[in-house]
Amino acid sequence: MSTDWAGPVAAYMFGGLRTTIALCAITVVASTLAGIVLGTLSVIRWRPLELALRAHVEFWRGLPTVVSLFFIFFALPTIHVYVNAFVAAAVGLTLWASANIAEIVRGAIVSIPRDQFTAGAALGLGWLSVMRLIILPQALRRMIPPLVGMLVNLIQTTTLAAVIGVLDVLEAGKQSVERLTLQTGNPHAVEVYAAILVIFFAICFPLSQYASSLEKRLVV
Amino acid sequence: MSGYTFDPAIIWQNLPFLLGGLLLTLEVSLIGIAGALAIGIAGGAVRTFQLPVLSGVVRAYVEFIRNTPFLVQLFFLYFALPGLGLRLTGFTVAWLTLMIHGGSYNVENFRAGFTSTAAGFREGARALGLSGWQAFRYVTFPIGFRTAMPSVSNTCISVLKGSSLMVAIGFPELTDRAVSIVGQTFRVYEMFFTIAVIYLLVVWAFSMLMRWAERRMAIPGFII
Repeated sequence: MSTDWAGPVAAYMFGGLRTTIALCAITVVASTLAGIVLGTLSVIRWRPLELALRAHVEFWRGLPTVVSLFFIFFALPTIHVYVNAFVAAAVGLTLWASANIAEIVRGAIVSIPRDQFTAGAALGLGWLSVMRLIILPQALRRMIPPLVGMLVNLIQTTTLAAVIGVLDVLEAGKQSVERLTLQTGNPHAVEVYAAILVIFFAICFPLSQYASSLEKRLVV
Repeated sequence: MSGYTFDPAIIWQNLPFLLGGLLLTLEVSLIGIAGALAIGIAGGAVRTFQLPVLSGVVRAYVEFIRNTPFLVQLFFLYFALPGLGLRLTGFTVAWLTLMIHGGSYNVENFRAGFTSTAAGFREGARALGLSGWQAFRYVTFPIGFRTAMPSVSNTCISVLKGSSLMVAIGFPELTDRAVSIVGQTFRVYEMFFTIAVIYLLVVWAFSMLMRWAERRMAIPGFII
């Protein structure tokens, strides 16, 4: 059995993997930052802000992610914003993930007893100082396990970029299978897709194990 | 939005075609959800009782599925299985992938529900002379099932939303039909507005139904 096909395919898929890693890095950082800001703002009791954040979260969480990606990809050109599929995917994934992370952050903040806000205020601290010095340091610790879980989900979800034509590791694999079918008649689809499954498992399994070990350690 | 006018007539023209897609979406989702519930309850029980060998197999299944992307699993079933001599239709691959995926999440949901049922209840059941199976059937399961309900309904909703990924294998469900209309007519806003409304309505209706079911099943005076 010849394995001549494997070399070029691996090289091509490695190029795709670099795109996947870039997409992961950008969306993980952007959505974590956006999620922390949105989640922190959502505990402020001011009706218009509450409603706007609620709408943002419900909308991006309620829609299937692939629908958001398609929409952003097709809709931006009609308002004369011309971006490639990579940017559209990064924006769509960040909106979706930041909505989820905002919920995680909000949950962590409201889990801190309200007395601490009052105590902080009694000490003469302003809202921002109470948040920065008292609430967030505790809330950030509580939110780390679900946050890591969400980021594992996000890393897996970056593969949806392939559906709008981003040449990520999955799209590179799919194109390789199509090319092999035309050139040799043997698609080698089992090997190619199994390789992609293994790559993601190697990245995500340690991370989710880490998340659950953190969760166990937090339970006193 | 210069040069683009939103034309509601486009929506009415294409609505029957889209609703046909919604029907397929609901069909594969409901089969997937039913299967995922069965896998979840069985797998959750196996993990709770730590049955030898079987428990390890279930854990491997759960970890593998939860740590690999849904879309790659879908491609494997649709594009790679024929290479192993198993050719499935788009419909079968759709519900099967959703079932395998949702099942892996439900195993963890039910395991958490079953193990969180206070040990005192189980011991009480055994002290009353119930066998291990009876204690599960009449005590652990009814209570654990209710505890697991909120996370199980989240999983059901993600199965429903996951059905939209069948666009990637060209299975003509709701998203695939909308995308193909956009491809032919460039009516981006009309189509995505319509399916966004349909998805949000279905998801919200489903979560209301689940919350209603949770309230109906709640045991009076028993706070889970």
